[in-house]
Amino acid sequence: MKKIILLVEDDELDIISVQRALKKIGIDHELITAYNGVEALDKLRGNSHRPPMDPLPDVILLDINMPKMNGFQFLSVLREDAALKHLKVIVMTTSAEEHDRTVTEKLGVSGYLIKPLNFTNNDKRPDSMDGFVQFHLRHILANLE
Amino acid sequence: MKLATQISLGFLIAISIDLVDSYVNYSLTRKVNMNTDFLTNSESVIRTSSVLNRSIIDMQNALRGFLLTGDQKFLTRYNNGSTAIPALMKQERALIGSSPSQLSQLDSITAIHNEWLNYSNQIINEKQKSIANPALNKQYDELFQKQFKINNVKNYNARITAFFSLFDEHEYNIREKRRKALAASIKETDSFSVFFSFLLIIVGAGLAFYLVRRISRRIDSMVKLAEDISMGNFTMVKDDKRDELTSLSQSLNLMSQRLSSNIDELERKNDELNQFAYVVSHDLKAPIRGISNVVQWIQEDLTDELSPNMKKYLDIIPERLKRMADLIDGLLEYARIGRGKYPKEEVDVAVLIKELAELIVPNEYELTVKNMPVLHTERILLAQVFGNLLSNAVKYTSNSDARIEVSCIEHRNFYEFAVSDNGIGIEKEYHEKIFEMFQTLREKHDEESTGIGLAIVKKIVEKNEGAISVLSSAGNGAKFVFTWPKN
Repeated sequence: MKKIILLVEDDELDIISVQRALKKIGIDHELITAYNGVEALDKLRGNSHRPPMDPLPDVILLDINMPKMNGFQFLSVLREDAALKHLKVIVMTTSAEEHDRTVTEKLGVSGYLIKPLNFTNNDKRPDSMDGFVQFHLRHILANLE
Repeated sequence: MKLATQISLGFLIAISIDLVDSYVNYSLTRKVNMNTDFLTNSESVIRTSSVLNRSIIDMQNALRGFLLTGDQKFLTRYNNGSTAIPALMKQERALIGSSPSQLSQLDSITAIHNEWLNYSNQIINEKQKSIANPALNKQYDELFQKQFKINNVKNYNARITAFFSLFDEHEYNIREKRRKALAASIKETDSFSVFFSFLLIIVGAGLAFYLVRRISRRIDSMVKLAEDISMGNFTMVKDDKRDELTSLSQSLNLMSQRLSSNIDELERKNDELNQFAYVVSHDLKAPIRGISNVVQWIQEDLTDELSPNMKKYLDIIPERLKRMADLIDGLLEYARIGRGKYPKEEVDVAVLIKELAELIVPNEYELTVKNMPVLHTERILLAQVFGNLLSNAVKYTSNSDARIEVSCIEHRNFYEFAVSDNGIGIEKEYHEKIFEMFQTLREKHDEESTGIGLAIVKKIVEKNEGAISVLSSAGNGAKFVFTWPKN
């Protein structure tokens, strides 16, 4: 069955990284991207031009530092929304600050992943960026449902 | 009040008490001396009075002898007496000075004596006449009989002696009075002396106790403050007295305050620097990593669309990016030196170098390690110095019989380590430059040489109060010599 993934991320580079990783994993999927919280909510709830998202995503991959509405704000709104509060959210960020982790975990997330800054360009190694994204996405998708 | 004033005042009080005591003792001495003078005088008075008494009696005896025997020798004694007595009388008057009762007694004695002289001169005259003319003997006898009776009735001798004994008694009375007064004043002085000595002891001890209490307790609190400061607790001393110690403790308090705020400031700066280091490593390296990823993706995903030239140029980018990331790491490492605290531990330098060499020195290099000590030091820093020097030696030694030697000379307070190689060497003009930041003598694209390694080594060595220098010339290898403290 096709997995629907909503990626909320402002960095084009990270979006491409996820796209490449999903391609390499080879699981049937649909990737929807939003550049910030506002856009993600708009897509989930729909607007005057577009109906709400249906079916809802199997998982939301969420960045923390974003313009307009950051990860924390998005999560708070999501958890207040009766139709959306059950959605599975996994945080993917470069922020290693303990504060960010505790705040997001209070808002209810299924995972908190810190992307490596390591300078290795080899997607076989999980401490390189591509390797990390591949490794975790494979795991996340395998554990859906 | 100032402490110096208090101490001076204390001494002044003690000295005043001592002065009063000395004065009292001095006046007693004067009294004793005066009494001695008086006694000497009094002895003379008594002696003179007895001589006078004896002379008068002697004169009376001489008169009697002459009248009985008619012998002229007695008259000589009589005449001697009549000249000596007025002189003695005058002498005695001078000695007694102004004692009215003794003066009147002397007056009485003189009067009685003069009365007697009047009678004796008359009768001697008659006796002389009868001796010269025996016809007058009868007339003399009558006079003698008459006068003798009167003489006896008047009893000159007894009256004079009575006056003399009164006179002497009076003198002895004065003496006794004086003796009693002197004894009293000695006793008084003694009690004064004892009193003042006690007073001096009490005042002295009290002052000493007061000053010691006032000073030592506060010095103790200042010593405690200094100890606190040395242990990093920036407390304050309370001192509301207004003297020199107060200003000392105020200075100490100010010092404590300033140190405290300086250390807070330092800690704040250190935090800022840590924050900065994080920002540098995170925010500067993230874009580099991004570029690196993009290049990789182009090479992997779009390889069919690339021309050979594009592929060649793209290959250069990751190398340069790696170099930039290394530079950032090197800068961070350099900035961190001396800020972190590293534990001191027993370091066997030979073992340390062996471990480093396994990571840094390729097997085909010939590595000699000589005379390495075991010392108590910050292992991480020493490892960083040797690691950088060894990788430096490896980097610049590429000939077929590459040799690296590490040696050590022990000095009194430090070790002198040397890392030498037989590589390409360094020309003299660069000897200073190589320790500066970003100085590398190689071509820019050559290997991973950031030019920070030796700057880091120099900074670490100098932070440890050591020195580093290089001995080398082009083509003859290089020898880096640095010192490291024993403790």
